[in-house]
Amino acid sequence: MKKLAYFDSSHEMPLEIIIAAGFTPYKILGDVHQSNDPADKYLSSFFCPAARSWLTEALAHSKEWAGIIFAQGCNSTNRHYDVWKVHVETPFLHWFGAPLLDNAAAKKYYRVELQRLISHLENQFGIKITPEKIGEAISKSNEIKKKLQQLSAFRALKDIPNRNYLAAVIKCLTYPVDEVSVWLDAEIKAWNSKPAFPSGKKRFLLTGSDITYVEWMDTLDDCGIRVVRDDLSVGERFFATLIPDKSDPLDALIEYYMNIPKPATRPTIQKRLDYLYKALGETKVDGVLSQNVKFCEPFAYDSVPVNNALKAKGYKVIHLERDFSPAADQQLANRLAAFVEMMEVGNNG
Amino acid sequence: MDKVNNSNDNAGKIKLNTLPHAKDLKWPMLWWIGMEKLYRTLPWKKTAWTCAAFPIEMMWIYDIFPDHPENMATVAAARKQSQRLIEHAESMGFSRDLCSYCKTNIGAYDTQIKKTLGGISKPDIVVCTNAICDTHWKWFQIMADKMNVPFFMFDIPKWVSGTDEKTLEGNIDYVVDQFYDLMVFVEKHTGKKMNEKRLYNVLDRSMELSDLWREIFEHRKAVPSPYSGAETSAAFFPLVVLPGVQVGVNFFKKILADIKNLTAKGEGTMPKGKEKYRVMWEGIPFWYRMRFMYDLAQYGAVIAFEPYTYSFAPEKKKCLTMEETLRHVAKLIMDTPYAYNLERRIENFEKWIDEYKLDGVILHENMSCRPSSAGMVDLAEAIMRDKGIPVLILQCDMNDPRAYSEGQIKTRVEGFIELMEANKK
Repeated sequence: MKKLAYFDSSHEMPLEIIIAAGFTPYKILGDVHQSNDPADKYLSSFFCPAARSWLTEALAHSKEWAGIIFAQGCNSTNRHYDVWKVHVETPFLHWFGAPLLDNAAAKKYYRVELQRLISHLENQFGIKITPEKIGEAISKSNEIKKKLQQLSAFRALKDIPNRNYLAAVIKCLTYPVDEVSVWLDAEIKAWNSKPAFPSGKKRFLLTGSDITYVEWMDTLDDCGIRVVRDDLSVGERFFATLIPDKSDPLDALIEYYMNIPKPATRPTIQKRLDYLYKALGETKVDGVLSQNVKFCEPFAYDSVPVNNALKAKGYKVIHLERDFSPAADQQLANRLAAFVEMMEVGNNG
Repeated sequence: MDKVNNSNDNAGKIKLNTLPHAKDLKWPMLWWIGMEKLYRTLPWKKTAWTCAAFPIEMMWIYDIFPDHPENMATVAAARKQSQRLIEHAESMGFSRDLCSYCKTNIGAYDTQIKKTLGGISKPDIVVCTNAICDTHWKWFQIMADKMNVPFFMFDIPKWVSGTDEKTLEGNIDYVVDQFYDLMVFVEKHTGKKMNEKRLYNVLDRSMELSDLWREIFEHRKAVPSPYSGAETSAAFFPLVVLPGVQVGVNFFKKILADIKNLTAKGEGTMPKGKEKYRVMWEGIPFWYRMRFMYDLAQYGAVIAFEPYTYSFAPEKKKCLTMEETLRHVAKLIMDTPYAYNLERRIENFEKWIDEYKLDGVILHENMSCRPSSAGMVDLAEAIMRDKGIPVLILQCDMNDPRAYSEGQIKTRVEGFIELMEANKK
């Protein structure tokens, strides 16, 4: 099954339409190990390094994909689309205008945009995306989400390295759903048989910009931090809620995508906090790590009010800004290690 | 490279001649300041914070005073206050990478700096759009929460390269629906109701203001240039906060008369015979260093056209029904030149280069405005390829003087002037 790639700064792309069209949804995540030089010919270094990495990946691999869909995400997504339209070779490029709001007007517009996407896919590939096919795709999507929920719950109970969790979510966002479903069954069994949560580690909730490479997760592990909850798009935002059962599958998708845990790219801050409070209420954690990849504006804006709100509730919060690099940043590691040490002596302020 | 007068002393400096009525800008400014005082004094009057690309007319229709954090941020920069306000916001936790307008405003509000230095007061409501950038709504929402003030945002769909008419109509439908949501919001939080008669009156005056600015731009095509970007960057103030108000119309009429008088005599803003290079400036000016635009005169260069101030004066039409009006305004919000997609940007820039007989283009790659800065490399390459004129990309910041390096910028500008000179041969 051919991949249909998508550019999505959070979880706005209705993957079920891609599945119903007979393609494997492939979330473009870039490769932190590759230089961004190809993308930097077109975008300055003060643009989101993750988005520049996605362009680098597309410049090298777009011909392997059936096409590319952009989902309206953050500040410059539409500008990136314009640049990609000039430089990335692809037979199919579509702009999906996922609304920022979630009121009645936005729901109406969301339906218009879903129908426009379906028509474009049908015309381009000579296929028919029926309500039945979308319904089947929703079932498959929910199956993956349920299994990820099960897998994710082991994080607070078992000895699951941070990188294993991130690798599992990335696999679910880039591999064929049927293959992933079988693989997840095996992982659930394997994780269930792991030893209990290690006594030397601290339980953390991770929030902020997305993490797209395992090396950063390793750094956290090395500092004694185990991520047991998160609200990332390459994380819980993807599987925290299920697509509801409705007679019209488009209604189901509209309701689902407008009610997933909010990223910083969607109003309101309070709604984003609501999910964080819910997660923190469900799972006892030692601290909250708020991290921002350099030049990621939406989460940088949110970090001040969100972290202040969490601190006001008594949570121990550390915020840091990281580069988009697989190299371990020893200064950041020292700060994190010191924060964990302070927790151990109960002197973290 | 030789400066026109090749002299560093003031005696030899080339000064741009300002228009006779340029100083009359004080009247709309004083009117605006006075109105704010009045609206804050009378209990039945209301105030709002608004942003660029928000249909400010809606606030005047509702008899709500539109305060403007971006405008006040530019005042802070011009009064050399922005750096300390930005640093204050950074001390609150806001990243150095975030918009300098936003941080100036946060610093100004938190330190309660004086209005004359760029200060701003708490409004009754906060309204904004994401037509220009997402920063607007992130910033306004953060401040609305901080001030405990009701918040409304227009979600404006993006007009990306290649958008077809049918998609555009769907986008307009979405914005029109939100106009009705705005009416509910305003009534709920201010008690004020839509008055259709007032709507048409305000929009008529707004159209007149836009038309006058567009006519001024028609005369800017004259050689030598009668009116430079150094002057328009201040004079366009009525378009920012006074569309729909008579005082701005009066000011623009005087400016237009001055320009007509100048062009009739074949004179320009530069001393006779000194205009050598006509330049387009793209992006927001360096508000803390407006001298930059005046200093270009030393090289015989004048900013003959800038899309930024032109953006604030779209071509407006008279509509006969509420629905038609809202659809028209919705399209205008999406169609601002400042937010043109790359294809439309290239197409329009090349048209303006011909119309204004430009010799070069300066693109301000603004670290505070990523949406505006994206695609600039492609824009520059297209202009150089299709029009054969030099393009200078200056990476800097509109409100944060820490990004401005006098020596580096001077060196790059001088190189650009040399390229324009070589191109003329």
